[in-house]
Amino acid sequence: MKLFIKKIITLIMTLFLVSVAAFLAFQIIPGDVVTSILGTEATPEREEQLREELGLNDPPVERYFKWAGGVLRGDFGRSYQYSKNMNEMMPVAELIGDKLPVTLWLAGLSMVLIILVSIPLGVLWAKSANRFLDAALGVITQAAMAVPSFFLGILVTFLFGIVLKWFVPGGYISYRESLSGFLGYLLFPALSIALPKIAMTARFLRNSMLTQMQADYVRTAYSKGCTRKRVMYGHVLRNALMPVVTFLGMIIAEIVAGSIVVEQVFGLPGIGRLLISSINNRDFPVVEILILYITFVVIFVYFLVDILYRVIDPRISEK
Amino acid sequence: MIKIEDLSVAFDGAEVVKNVNLELKDGEILGVVGESGSGKSVTALTLMGLVADTAEITSGRIVFDDVILREAGKPLDRALYRKYQGAEMSMVFQEPMTSLNPTQRVGRQVEELLRLHTDFTKEEIRIKVLETFEAVGLKNAETIYASYPHQLSGGMRQRVMIAMAVILHPDLVVCDEPTTALDVTIQNQIIELLRVINEKEKNSMLFITHDLNLARRICHRVAVMKDGRVVELGRTEDIFEHPQEAYTRELIEAVPSRLKRRTSVFRQKYREAGKAAGFEQSGALCAGQEGECLEQAEAQYSEQRGERQEQEDAGETVLEVRDLSVYYQDGSNSLFSREKRHAAVKGAKFTVYRGESLGLVGESGCGKTTLSKAILGMNRDITGEIRHSTIRPQMIFQDPYSSLNPAKTIGWLLQEPLRAAGMLDQSLRLSKADMEAAAYDMLHRVGMEEKYFHRKPNQLSGGQRQRVSIGQALITNPGLVVADEPVSALDVTIQAQIMELMQKLQQEMQLSYLFISHDINVVYKMCDRIMVMKEGKIIEIGETEEIFAHPKQEYTRELLGEQK
Amino acid sequence: MKKFDSGKWNKYLTAGLIMTGLALLLGILGFFWTPYSTTAMSAAEKFAAPSLRHLFGTDNFGRDIFSRVMKGLSTTIVIGCLVVAFSAAAGILLGALTGYFGGLLDEIVMRITDAVNGFPSILLALVLISILGNGKQNVILALGIVFIPSYVRIVRSEFIRLRDADYISRARLMGVSRWRILFVHILPNIFSVFWVSVMIGFNNAILAESGMSYLGIGVQPPDASLGKMLSDAQGYLQNAPWYALAPGLTIVWVVLGFSLFSEGIRRRV
Repeated sequence: MKLFIKKIITLIMTLFLVSVAAFLAFQIIPGDVVTSILGTEATPEREEQLREELGLNDPPVERYFKWAGGVLRGDFGRSYQYSKNMNEMMPVAELIGDKLPVTLWLAGLSMVLIILVSIPLGVLWAKSANRFLDAALGVITQAAMAVPSFFLGILVTFLFGIVLKWFVPGGYISYRESLSGFLGYLLFPALSIALPKIAMTARFLRNSMLTQMQADYVRTAYSKGCTRKRVMYGHVLRNALMPVVTFLGMIIAEIVAGSIVVEQVFGLPGIGRLLISSINNRDFPVVEILILYITFVVIFVYFLVDILYRVIDPRISEK
Repeated sequence: MIKIEDLSVAFDGAEVVKNVNLELKDGEILGVVGESGSGKSVTALTLMGLVADTAEITSGRIVFDDVILREAGKPLDRALYRKYQGAEMSMVFQEPMTSLNPTQRVGRQVEELLRLHTDFTKEEIRIKVLETFEAVGLKNAETIYASYPHQLSGGMRQRVMIAMAVILHPDLVVCDEPTTALDVTIQNQIIELLRVINEKEKNSMLFITHDLNLARRICHRVAVMKDGRVVELGRTEDIFEHPQEAYTRELIEAVPSRLKRRTSVFRQKYREAGKAAGFEQSGALCAGQEGECLEQAEAQYSEQRGERQEQEDAGETVLEVRDLSVYYQDGSNSLFSREKRHAAVKGAKFTVYRGESLGLVGESGCGKTTLSKAILGMNRDITGEIRHSTIRPQMIFQDPYSSLNPAKTIGWLLQEPLRAAGMLDQSLRLSKADMEAAAYDMLHRVGMEEKYFHRKPNQLSGGQRQRVSIGQALITNPGLVVADEPVSALDVTIQAQIMELMQKLQQEMQLSYLFISHDINVVYKMCDRIMVMKEGKIIEIGETEEIFAHPKQEYTRELLGEQK
Repeated sequence: MKKFDSGKWNKYLTAGLIMTGLALLLGILGFFWTPYSTTAMSAAEKFAAPSLRHLFGTDNFGRDIFSRVMKGLSTTIVIGCLVVAFSAAAGILLGALTGYFGGLLDEIVMRITDAVNGFPSILLALVLISILGNGKQNVILALGIVFIPSYVRIVRSEFIRLRDADYISRARLMGVSRWRILFVHILPNIFSVFWVSVMIGFNNAILAESGMSYLGIGVQPPDASLGKMLSDAQGYLQNAPWYALAPGLTIVWVVLGFSLFSEGIRRRV
């Protein structure tokens, strides 16, 4: 319990630090936001008025707390770039709102694919006495790890979309219309993200199992009269999976990054595209919130992995 | 009755076991003794059907009660072996920590045997396991049952392993160095337990060990192995009292036993002079408890020395430790855990004189290493006083594989202490040629050939590494050397060579050793005086003979144990 | 270098060396010479399929794709090398200091490292670019900063592992100075581990750079870039699949070659 609280405090501290860093980073940017928003319509009076409106004249510390306070109350600020109607800018929350599920589903689906495929594959690989299969898997995974996800996305589009016509490139179906259609469409981008990670994880699990097979306790199990199968599933697998859990936690960040890039390839309306366009348009309130949000997701998953790890490894839960 | 007939085992075409014949009668403990690489473990693993798949049986067979388990030229019949493994034959391994599955409760791990070989119900299994736990001396069997291996002490884990090995009352129990990883007092308990089990169960035991004393204590017959062959086989008494083979004799002689004790030349002279002057043999004067009487012992000792000094002119102090306590921090000093300061060494007080070897014995965790680190200045959280007469006392480490920088050549390593001294003190700076000459000289002194000068540590054997390590410690002529288990990681015959080297250099260079060891026999051979430590306190100091003949503390007696 | 002439040769090394060597050759050559001008357009040869005349075919402007790939390869290799050099050097210094000495500096650096490591590296680079602005130099700087933590982590844990090794304790006993212990006694012992992470780092840098230019952030025209080519080509997947395949497979080629090479080295140690 004490540990739990400690973890939560660390989590909050990290979020705080990231929020400060994100906020500060956009204070030192060269170029005036106001000029870039107003563009050709800029006059000194209008600039001053807008600056006042956006609160840019307040001291930075005060602005940070105003902003952070807003975020805590659920007020994520307003975009500099997108307007809701004639006299109001778009609130960031609304802007992000319906894009978020797309990215989350995509990342989640990728993770599920990775776990479902890589673990059986890794076990099968470690078990295989077949030299040919062993070498083939070695080459295939090595190659799969070298393909960047955006190129994989293009290959998937080409193969499944253009050649096989299993899906219509660009024919995105919103989750509001049909969840199954949405997930069916999402399967292809998720595959592009997952494939290299599946290769990585399967290799990792295989190596972990082979290492564990050399351990002393395996010899003990054989000395009791256990079959190879029993040794594998009863003793080795659990010990071999522990580092894999950590590994899966570590690639979460990469999966999130992958989904942001792959959204571009498949034209998915997720937060990735919003982030890219906001960076290009210098729409900082949006960028700040997105950074904070991604950090939160990643840290939260780390937190879950950490707890999961404590559940499966009795040696750690002791301390 | 188990027979190993003409067994040869090869890895990649190289035979590591050659034509071994061994026979185990019912109720007999057969010891197999040999140094690392002698093939004793491979023999045992082959017998158990556990040897690696890459091993090839090139000749002979294994017969268990008239059933041929394994034969040359035929592949391992796993299904046949599985019927025997655990039920008819079982094994106790060296490392109880790694030999148990770290993520499974130990009860479950013992249960597995019953689930594999019997059709007991769940409840019967549980009762049987608990019974067996109690039979091997595990109190609180219920708690142990639900524990994970890391929650148990080394001795308890080994008892769990033994419980596993005997729960189905097999006819054969193979013990592969079952006590090597344990503390001395625990070692004695485990040996006792194995003996009792053997008497009760009337089973056969194959007892593999590198430790001749251990084999002598427990085995009925002993086989001596060297380079894959059994060189001698016979009743334990015969082997030890009338060894026939030269190698057996060498092995027995290499064991530091009480019979061939050596005293430093200095000490010899000192003793003669003392006798001439009419002094009694000084020794462990501490008859009562710790504290005051220890002080008296030291005082009396140094007084006698002082008087003798005039005749002897050699009794100068190299190290003086007064009321030394050494502390360590408990837990990480992060925001959340408050600092806790513990004394690992409490009120230590002793003196080391020039040219003598002071032995420091005690079990792991008693504070020996902490004390030596404080003396070397590696631990600065201390109270009390440490006074050296030398500038930089040096250290000889236990593990020759981690005490030499693997990225450097032997020549570089031997010169580095001189370079370091030169950088600290301009007056000690030597020319390149001088340093090289000194390094070559040291290489000769530690008994190594010049060709090793340009080699790296990974091209050397353990014994050779330890020689270089000694050379590195001595090249600046440090006066005081702390030797932390310097021979524990070595084979017996290498051990003897290294101890001889250390004694030779001690005389040549007038060195004082603070000699730390858990092996009471090694200490006996090397040391002039012995200091016994328990739970951070020095509980007894005295001359070696005196301590061995008349230990004043119960704990010291226990430490010396059956090994005497 | 001694490391490379001892130990066993293996097929990973052979394959890796051939692939990496070829890529390096083309990349370096691309600096000085390309078969065709990378900017010369030709309406007549629009979307020409791969042939002997145009090895990888031509694009929507009739430009020779092979020449453009060579140029892109040069850019990628230069960026990869500079990023690795920058972040590895900073990583060694920070990792050595924090690992060996620990203390407050260690706490601060580790907190920052943890936060950065948790954050997707390509995103962090994008954010840095949005602050620094586009351009080749800024891409190198941004990626260089982003990858520092991964090296700090490895160097630091190696220094922590070795700072208590017996031979380091012994060096301290001899009175060897701290700097000498850090860089003469410990550093040579971490290279076998460090090499592997440098190679992985090179691949990550290449992947991140091409990812960024695919997203249209980072390297800008007229500098050629494989990622940018890919995003241009995506629209013509139906009529000219080779346009996308050429730069994409080139990236795969470089990354795969390098990882085979590093796998080969790892197996020899």
